[in-house]
Amino acid sequence: MEQTLNQIFNLVTDPYTGIAAWKERLQKKVVGCMPMHLPEELVHAAGLQPVVLWRSNEPVTLGHAHVYTFNCGLTRSVVDDAVKGKLAVLDGIITYDLCLQARELPFIINRNAPPAYLETVYIPGPVTAPVYKDFLLENFRNLKASLEKFSGQTMTQDALRQSIALYNRQRGLLRQLYALRRQTPGLIRAKEMLAIVQSGMLMPKEEHIPLLENLIAELPKRTVSSGKKARVVLSGCMCQTPRFDLLDLIEEEGMAVIDDEIYVGGRYFFHDVAETGDPLEALAERYLNRTIPCPTKVDWTNHWGDYLVDWVGQQKAQGVVTLLVKFCPPHLCYYPDVKKRLANANIPEVMLEVEHEVVSLEQVRTRLQAFVEEIR
Amino acid sequence: MPEIYAGIDVGSLCTKVVILDAGRNVLSSHILRSGGHYQGAAEAAFSGALESAGLRIKEISFLVSTGYGRARVTFSDTHVTEITCHARGAKHLFPHVHTVIDIGGQDSKVIYVNDEGRPKNFVMNDKCAAGTGRFLEVMAGALEVSLQEMAELSFHAQGESEVSNMCTVFAESEVISLLAQGTEKADIAAAIFRSIARRITGLVGKLGLKEPVVMTGGVAKNPGMVRALEEKLRTTLLIPPEPQIMGAYGAALIAAEQSD
Ligand SMILES: Nc1ncnc2c1ncn2[C@@H]1O[C@H](COP(=O)(O)OP(=O)(O)OP(=O)(O)O)[C@@H](O)[C@H]1O
Ligand SMILES: [Mg+2]
Repeated sequence: MEQTLNQIFNLVTDPYTGIAAWKERLQKKVVGCMPMHLPEELVHAAGLQPVVLWRSNEPVTLGHAHVYTFNCGLTRSVVDDAVKGKLAVLDGIITYDLCLQARELPFIINRNAPPAYLETVYIPGPVTAPVYKDFLLENFRNLKASLEKFSGQTMTQDALRQSIALYNRQRGLLRQLYALRRQTPGLIRAKEMLAIVQSGMLMPKEEHIPLLENLIAELPKRTVSSGKKARVVLSGCMCQTPRFDLLDLIEEEGMAVIDDEIYVGGRYFFHDVAETGDPLEALAERYLNRTIPCPTKVDWTNHWGDYLVDWVGQQKAQGVVTLLVKFCPPHLCYYPDVKKRLANANIPEVMLEVEHEVVSLEQVRTRLQAFVEEIR
Repeated sequence: MPEIYAGIDVGSLCTKVVILDAGRNVLSSHILRSGGHYQGAAEAAFSGALESAGLRIKEISFLVSTGYGRARVTFSDTHVTEITCHARGAKHLFPHVHTVIDIGGQDSKVIYVNDEGRPKNFVMNDKCAAGTGRFLEVMAGALEVSLQEMAELSFHAQGESEVSNMCTVFAESEVISLLAQGTEKADIAAAIFRSIARRITGLVGKLGLKEPVVMTGGVAKNPGMVRALEEKLRTTLLIPPEPQIMGAYGAALIAAEQSD
């Protein structure tokens, strides 16, 4: 099990080397996908290997000639990695109009470091009317055609169904791991859980599944110290992994993370894609109706703050740690309202900024310690 | 032997010690600059306070440390964050308090205190020292006056200058350029206080202002800052007789409760 965890941490701390290694072995074309809402299953069914774009493992330097310093860590990283040539391991990149910062990416990448395949998709923000489904399906069909052209392989309905089944299976295993953590808080460290989820974004699911099965079998044998911890859940953190030192600090200050609804976490696998009916429609349905309320979507029928209040209650959590990616406009836009709804429900909440650069941890420590004093 | 309690607040800029007797009366207090060495400052401030109270270290029943360097105090019985301590100290002196504004050397904090006197929510400034005690010291330096003189000056402001930069480095050049333009020091001093008051008001806005409001921390000793903040917040600030030791005082009160 320790070996599995090592393999996972190596991959997430250096995806460049890790991806190059399995790519060489499997001889597959690799396509980097903008995080959050792209249907990886579609890329997979075209005979290509999707990975989810990640935040770089070094400071942004050259990239700042092309992108504002007040962009989020992920968009800055992707541009920086592209212009430094670090994304050469990818044969293709798919971006979409996730937020204003993400919209700039294809232009910068195309101009400075174009991969063999660069595709831009439209995924509508509003989701509540039938017209958005039609629009989304049209764009998924275009993406399918474009992927087929790049891979030189026609995608059958069956192939897509099989990819969906494979992805559902991996999601199901991640849910099992989360259930283990809920049963025994502390069994799996917060950073381990996130690394496990992220590693699945950076390698073929076919190879990730055996790792998950191994962890599910082995992790319960760990001994967990029985000290009393404050039960907290993590919220937010769109598109990227938070710094691991931040997660360690949360635990050092006497909290146990019992669940999360962050992107590199619960959001990634929360709902399956239906395995009945038309598979392309099923993919569209997952985006439209089967995700945790998301600030990049416009859905006034399903409010994030209210969702959190219910969820925190179900988890019997004592507080919420919001991870807010610095310079993430969608999250910043929703955050004040979410905060208010939590406060109205008497749910303690503390916000930590997720930054790409090193932060002053001592100040964060004071915040977290005061939060624990407040909820005890 | 009667119980004696102590609180020690190792702040990023100053270290404060308060010693209480069994009846929660202040026996002595001590303030000095922390310097670069938190542990040394803690020891020096503690001996200072012990000496003025005529006590020896083994007569202290319980010691709580707080502040930025709280974990560096090797001789304390436990440590608590300054957020809880400032709230505790303020609550003891002003039992009805609902909001505590602590402006220290490096951090500004706004704390919401519920009806039972427990801190229930708080916000802190971002990483940098803009709009805190250290910022004021740098600005006073740029004006070549002491902090007291700067406060005094601001009361004689005539014009309506503005300092808009919140970054300490940029604000300093802005002040220097105002001086070069011949702007009165008094107007600049008032503008600096207003700019910090704006920032604190933004912080307060995140929690919502609930009166009564107590101001603590070393900057509460700056009348220029207090006036600017009262004007911006449109409220009266209640200020303890020695606001800078409120964290240490709260820590000492918690020490007394812990040993009960
Ligand atoms: N007599 C005074 N007049 C005006 N200002 C004063 C006076 N004494 C202290 N200050 C201000 O108080 C500040 C230090 O406050 P304090 O001791 O509360 O900070 P700290 O606790 O060390 O810092 P922090 O809480 O941010 O870690 C100084 O920077 C100075 O601006
Ligand atoms: Mg202080």
